[in-house]
Amino acid sequence: MGNSFWKDTWLITNRNIKTTLRNPFSVIPNLIISAFFLLVYEGGLSGISQLPTFEGANYLAFILPVSIVSAAIGGAGGAGQSIVKDIENGFFSRLLLTPASRLAIVLGPIIAGMLQLFVQTLLIIGIGFLLGLEVETGFGGILFVLLIAIGWGLAFAGYSVGVALRTKNAQASQAGTFIFFPLIFLSTTFVPYELIDAQWLKVAATINPTTYIFESMRTVLIDGWIFWDMMQGVIAIVIVCAITITFAAVSAKNAVARG
Amino acid sequence: MTLMPNILGVKNMNGKIEVEHLSKTFKKGNVQAVKDVSFTVDEGEFFAFLGPNGAGKSTTVQILTTLLNATGGKATVAGHDVIREPEKVRKYIGVALQETGVDPDLTGREMIELQASIFGFDKSSAQARANELLNIVQLEEAAERRIGNYSGGMRRRLDLALTLVNEPKILFLDEPTTGLDPSNRMAIWKELQRLNEELGTTIFLTTQYLEEADSLAHRISIINDGEIVATGTPKELKAQIGNDLITFTFPSKDIQSQAATIMESYMGEKEVIEQNGKLLVYVDDGTKQMLELVRLLDQEQVEVETVNLSSPTLDDIFLKITAKEVGGVGHGE
Ligand SMILES: Nc1ncnc2c1ncn2[C@@H]1O[C@H](COP(=O)(O)OP(=O)(O)OP(=O)(O)O)[C@@H](O)[C@H]1O
Ligand SMILES: [Mg+2]
Repeated sequence: MGNSFWKDTWLITNRNIKTTLRNPFSVIPNLIISAFFLLVYEGGLSGISQLPTFEGANYLAFILPVSIVSAAIGGAGGAGQSIVKDIENGFFSRLLLTPASRLAIVLGPIIAGMLQLFVQTLLIIGIGFLLGLEVETGFGGILFVLLIAIGWGLAFAGYSVGVALRTKNAQASQAGTFIFFPLIFLSTTFVPYELIDAQWLKVAATINPTTYIFESMRTVLIDGWIFWDMMQGVIAIVIVCAITITFAAVSAKNAVARG
Repeated sequence: MTLMPNILGVKNMNGKIEVEHLSKTFKKGNVQAVKDVSFTVDEGEFFAFLGPNGAGKSTTVQILTTLLNATGGKATVAGHDVIREPEKVRKYIGVALQETGVDPDLTGREMIELQASIFGFDKSSAQARANELLNIVQLEEAAERRIGNYSGGMRRRLDLALTLVNEPKILFLDEPTTGLDPSNRMAIWKELQRLNEELGTTIFLTTQYLEEADSLAHRISIINDGEIVATGTPKELKAQIGNDLITFTFPSKDIQSQAATIMESYMGEKEVIEQNGKLLVYVDDGTKQMLELVRLLDQEQVEVETVNLSSPTLDDIFLKITAKEVGGVGHGE
């Protein structure tokens, strides 16, 4: 009796996808906010790109990474929220009482969250193309952008799942999620580094890993295949993922272990 | 009921619960929730754990069902050690915790089918099992509705259905009827009796309701403040503290405490309990001892308002036992 690890993971992931689709309002607001970046800033701020520092690049390609990161965070945050919801409903305990693999119980919501992120990122890129997006490196560049979005989403999913399993409380884990949103703005969000005036914002942008995510996406969207400029995002992801996924794994181990 | 492929006939499996010197201390707040508890529940037995809020019932259930670690002692469920072989234990038990465990975004049918799939049923057996269980807990009409729209009673019944999915040898039910209306409570009682009688399922039930333990269980342990204070059949428990209960009332408080002192010196302190403005006395031979006591009080010129002779209910037993524990309820103001 009992299933393989893969079957358990599939069953639980499938359940998560189903419940996400049944709660469109857990997805739509984030998607709208993300698309908002594209529409409003493209409409209102695109004049900035006439400045010499932009070297004629189009502002749409410049702002697209902001929109993608916002969508990725929203999608990946779904993983943590779904776990908190399960804990509060007692469903998490019900799963722990079955012979299901402990890893599958935690992995299911993460996989579902990553799928949500993937779909949201595709939608945002689609909207970008509708608005006239041009990508310097073509299809390969889009794949790279997707990869970075997934990597950064994974980093955030680790964080949100860790907070969820630790606090077991919806408000606390939502509050935990909010610290990622300011990170979007304390960065080269709307203007390149050289155009940032305030010294404090320059410092913030330098230590904020989101900056390197934006810049590596912008490299392939605007400048071309420039290896080290692309790598800065990959390195940021590896470092942050190492931290947040360890955090998630330790929290998960405590949550499924017996107190 | 032969949908389970190979659950039966597994070596070392039985429907027993054996608990030896179990204790649990929560680090948080340094609470000793369970203190050196030992008991055995035989295969096919219906056993009730009866105790007030905070007695340690849920903590015991969570240890026996592999959700919590004990800090001392040993427990074997279905022939397997709950600490060392939790995976094996989980296959043979069905558990309804104090809080129901359901996903409000699924329908009742989906919830049961998911539970069945996790227990290793293939798709068509899972569907068949869902039909069977929806029928048993009378949720067929609500089967296609989301659980989020279920009433408390429906949720409880669905939760019970989920615990039955794997045809468990042992059922653990933590206060399964708390907060239910009489008709829902009756429905659950009936089903539990059926499972116990027809399928021989061992049942471990916790409750705060004495009548529930009295009418369902073969054997009851009373737990208070983490300790088992009495164990026996409902009949034995009633006999343990005397066959009869004499209840006195007096015209005033002063007279009552005067009477209490007199009766205590005659009966022994433990047998006289002061409660809700009444004096309760547990005795073996009610008629004879009632007359003796009345005579005694008359001699001492203590005025009695009413005297009443009855058989003790489990409520009375519970009050007597826990009163001893708290010490002092028996002693006026
Ligand atoms: N996770 C925990 N951390 C710290 N203390 C706990 C924890 N769980 C329970 N306790 C404490 O252990 C004691 C026993 O609690 P338990 O939940 O087992 O009682 P119970 O008999 O189920 O009560 P109720 O009828 O209210 O459900 C209580 O004092 C409770 O406060
Ligand atoms: Mg309890």
